[in-house]
Amino acid sequence: MRGDPEAHELIAPGNLAAVLQLLAAEPGAWTPIAGGTELMVAHAAGRLTARKLVSLWEIPDLRFIRVDEGTIAIGAGVPFIDLRRNAAIAAQLPLLARAASWLGSIANQSRATLGGNLVNGSPAADSSPALLAYDAQVELISARGRRTLPYEKFHTGYKRTALAPDELLLAVHLPRRFARHRQYLRKVGTRRAMAIAKVALAGTALVEENVVRELRLGAASVAPYPTRLYRTEEAILGNSITEETIRTARRALLAEIAPIDDIRSVAEYRRRVAANLVEEFLRELMHSAAPVDAPLMNAALAAWNSADESTALTQMLACCGARRWASAMVAMRPVQDQEALLAVADRIWAAMEEPDWREAFACHPRIGERKAAHASAPPSAQKSAQWSRQEQSGAAQAEARVLEELARGNAQYEERFGFTYIVCATGKSAEEMLDLLNRRLGSDRATELREAAEQQRQITEIRLRKWMAA
Amino acid sequence: MSTRWDSIRFTVNGQPRTVHAPPMKRLLDVLREDLHLTGTKEGCGEGECGSCSVRMNGELVNSCLVPVLQAEGAQIQTVEGLAPDLDSGGALHPLQEAFLHCGGAQCGICTPGMLMAAAQLIERHPHPSQAEIREGLAGNLCRCTGFARIFASVVAAATHAAPEQEPDAR
Ligand SMILES: Cc1cc2nc3c(=O)[nH]c(=O)nc-3n(C[C@H](O)[C@H](O)[C@H](O)COP(=O)(O)OP(=O)(O)OC[C@H]3O[C@@H](n4cnc5c(N)ncnc54)[C@H](O)[C@@H]3O)c2cc1C
Ligand code: FES
Ligand code: FES
Repeated sequence: MRGDPEAHELIAPGNLAAVLQLLAAEPGAWTPIAGGTELMVAHAAGRLTARKLVSLWEIPDLRFIRVDEGTIAIGAGVPFIDLRRNAAIAAQLPLLARAASWLGSIANQSRATLGGNLVNGSPAADSSPALLAYDAQVELISARGRRTLPYEKFHTGYKRTALAPDELLLAVHLPRRFARHRQYLRKVGTRRAMAIAKVALAGTALVEENVVRELRLGAASVAPYPTRLYRTEEAILGNSITEETIRTARRALLAEIAPIDDIRSVAEYRRRVAANLVEEFLRELMHSAAPVDAPLMNAALAAWNSADESTALTQMLACCGARRWASAMVAMRPVQDQEALLAVADRIWAAMEEPDWREAFACHPRIGERKAAHASAPPSAQKSAQWSRQEQSGAAQAEARVLEELARGNAQYEERFGFTYIVCATGKSAEEMLDLLNRRLGSDRATELREAAEQQRQITEIRLRKWMAA
Repeated sequence: MSTRWDSIRFTVNGQPRTVHAPPMKRLLDVLREDLHLTGTKEGCGEGECGSCSVRMNGELVNSCLVPVLQAEGAQIQTVEGLAPDLDSGGALHPLQEAFLHCGGAQCGICTPGMLMAAAQLIERHPHPSQAEIREGLAGNLCRCTGFARIFASVVAAATHAAPEQEPDAR
C-alpha cells in the first residue's frame, strides 16, 4: 500500500547544530533523512514507520571532502556522485571511487549519500567493503560531543549500528597510506548498474618479496552486516602466496562466512563466489610480486614532495597541461616512489573528463610544426616545448613532402574533430605519425577523443619518467 | 486545504513557483498534481525505472524519491523545460528531434525520463562513448524499443548538438 505523505512530518532546519538539538530534546523521536533513497522507497511501499523526519540534505557541515595530511575526511552527507568525481578520491581511494560508480544509477548516485549507505546497514552496502579494506574510522556526533570508532565496529547486527538515538554519523576518515598497497574490488550482481551485490569483496595488501605483510579484506553479503574477514586474513598473513596458501585461504574463508539464501541469491552460490574472489585477489598478488628492496627515493621526486605548491604545480603542468590533473597530483604529495607516482598519474587521468583532455591537448605544438614557446611563456610551457622538440625529433628529419602532408592532415583533423592531432611521438618517424593520422581521421569523434586521451596518458608517463630521471 | 501547509518555493524550468503541500509529498506528485506538469511520468515509484527523472540543481534525480521539502530553493528542470518555446512556435530540443527521427520513442512512457537522463549525459559528456551512454541511461528502463534506437538517438543528438569551436591556445 502506498504511504500517505500527510502521515509524516518532515522539517529541514538547514544546519547541523539545530538538528542535533532536536535529536537531543527527543531522542529516538526523530529520524534523519538524507538523500531518501532508502526511506522514500519504504515510504512508497507504506513501510515507513518513522512519523517525524528531519532532513540532512544539503547541510554544509555534512557535505564536504577534505584532504588532510594523513587522511581524507568525507562528510556523511556527501552523495556518491561527488565521490566518483573527486580527483583525490579517484587517485588515493580508487576502490571507493569505483564502488561509488557502481551504486544504482546516475540518478541514484546524485542523491544516495555515503552516510545513508552506512547507517542503513544493509549487508550488501556498496561502499562498505572498500571502507573496511581502507581501515576507515567513523566519526559520530551528538549534542553531547563527538566520538570516533573504527568502521569495522560500527555495525553491531543486522541493520543495527553503534549510533545512539541522539547521534548522527558525521564523517568517515580514511588514512592516506595505501598508495603502495595492491588493491582489489569486485562486486558480483545480476547486472552492472542497478543491482544489489550478491557478493562483493575488497582488499588491500602489502606484499614484500612475495610475502604478504599487511592485508585487509572487507566483504558484503556474506554475513548479517558488512564485515572484515579476519580469519581469512590470518590464514594468509606472513605467508608467501603459493597454491597451498590459496587453498588454506579458501578453507578459512568458508569456515568464516555465513551467507544466507534470499531473493538475490543462495548461500551456496555466495560461498563459492566469495572463495573465488579471495583466490582471484591472491593470484593477482602472486603475479605482481613487488620489487625486492625499497629503492631510495628519487631525487626529483623528493624535491617535488617538499617544494612549494606553485613550483610543484609548474613541474606537473609541464608533463600534462590539464590544470585539474596537475592540481590533483600536487594534492597527492608526498608520493613514495616512481611507481606510485605513475600509478597515481594514471588514476587521476582516468577521472578526468573532456574539458581536461582538451586542455592538455592544446598544450602541444602540432606534429611537424616547429614553433618554440614564446620567451614570455610560463616555465611549464618552456619545459613542455623543449620536451615536445625531443619527442618529435622523428619529424625533424622528415622530407618536405611528408611535412606538407602532415600539415594538411593536421588541418583536416582539426576541422573534423575540433582539437589538435596528438600522438605519442617518441620513437616514431614522421611517416609513421602521418599514417596514424590518416587512420585516425577515419574514426568517429568519441573514439578519437579517447584515443587522443590515451596518447596524452602515454606522453605524460614518458615525461614523468624523464622528469624523475633528470 | 492548501493553507494547512507552509509554502515551499523553487524554480521550475526557469519560473519561480510556490506550492503548498505536505513536506513529504513526492516532488513527482507536486509537479504533476500541483503544477500540472504531467510530462514527468511515474513508472515504479521506487527509484528503479527512471521514468520520473528530472534535473535538480544540475543533477539527475528520480523525482519519486524526493520529498518536496528537499527541493526548497532548488532549480528544477523537467521535460517541459527542454523545449520551452514550443507553444509559441519554438523548436524542439535536439534530443527530442533525434528521438523523433531515430525512433527513440514508441509508447512514450519512458521517453521524458530518457530525455532528461540523456540531457544530463550530454551536458557532462558532450561526446559520449558507447560505455558512457550505457551508464548514463542505465537507470532508465524501456519496455518497447529494446534500447538500441534510444542509444542511436543520443548519438545522433550528440553529433549534431555539439559543434566544436576551440580557440587556438598555442
Ligand atoms: C533504485 C535503487 C538502487 C540502489 N542501488 C544500490 C546499490 O547498488 N548499492 C547500494 O549499496 N545501495 C543501493 N541502493 C540503496 C541506497 O541508495 C543507498 O543505501 C544510499 O546510500 C542511501 O543513502 P540516502 O542518503 O539516500 O539514505 P536515506 O534514505 O536518506 O537514509 C537511510 C538511513 O540512514 C539514516 N541516515 C542517513 N544519514 C545519516 C546520518 N548522517 N547519521 C545518522 N543516520 C543517517 C536514515 O535515518 C536512514 O535510516 C539503491 C537504492 C535504490 C532506490
Ligand atoms: S517512478 Fe521514479 S524511478 Fe520509477
Ligand atoms: S517507449 Fe515505451 S517504454 Fe520506452
